[in-house]
Amino acid sequence: MTENTPPASVNETTEKTAAVIEPIRLPTIEEVRGQDIWNNCAVRSVASGIMGGGLGMAMGLFLGALDNPIQQEQMTGRQLFVYTAKQMGGRSWHSCKAFAVMGLIFSAAECVVEKARAKHDITNSAIAGCVTGGAISAKTGGPKGACLGCAGFAAFSVAIEKFLDRHE
Amino acid sequence: MAANTNTPTALDKEQIIGMAEKEMEYRVELFNKLTQTCFAKCVEKRYKEPELNMGETSCIDRCVSKYWQVTNLVGHLLGSGRPPM
Repeated sequence: MTENTPPASVNETTEKTAAVIEPIRLPTIEEVRGQDIWNNCAVRSVASGIMGGGLGMAMGLFLGALDNPIQQEQMTGRQLFVYTAKQMGGRSWHSCKAFAVMGLIFSAAECVVEKARAKHDITNSAIAGCVTGGAISAKTGGPKGACLGCAGFAAFSVAIEKFLDRHE
Repeated sequence: MAANTNTPTALDKEQIIGMAEKEMEYRVELFNKLTQTCFAKCVEKRYKEPELNMGETSCIDRCVSKYWQVTNLVGHLLGSGRPPM
């Protein structure tokens, strides 16, 4: 071995490129099962509902903390604290429920529509948004309110999807 | 009795191996065609993410099922009805 070894930098670069390029490997059975579980519409919609509930709870807490009572000067510090805590609790539970239902319906509708169409499009989000908006507004608004809610929520979800796609 | 009729001759073995090779080639060809067709049909060319999303999975399920049914049907038609229609 009288020949010199190649300079250390060449070895390092080849090692780095060898480390970056990974060999092709087929998914393991656990990965396939995990993907199957996540592709299930019920699991997806429940997970989405839970996430929506968490988001709603945080938002309700934050908005409830901003609520100031009318008789602010006449209440003691402890009364003020109790009042604010009650407001925060009530608001957060109310908006938690609302957002959880919204997330559940949206995710379930999108999942069902995507499975039926066998395509991954933005029209899936539009249809799911329409169903969600219509379901939420149908109680208070009747048919006209349902149509308006459908259009509004569909436009909102399409805008959010486009925004998210642009950020990728 | 005639024990020779029970033991396979060398020619028979060759024939069986040849048939097995043809069958293997046919199967490999079927798999390749199936994969190419369903990939071209179901997966969009703009690759946005490495994982298959749900629409693509459902599309591939349906594509494979239909391809398999078509293969079976064509095989039956070719096998049974000898004169072409």
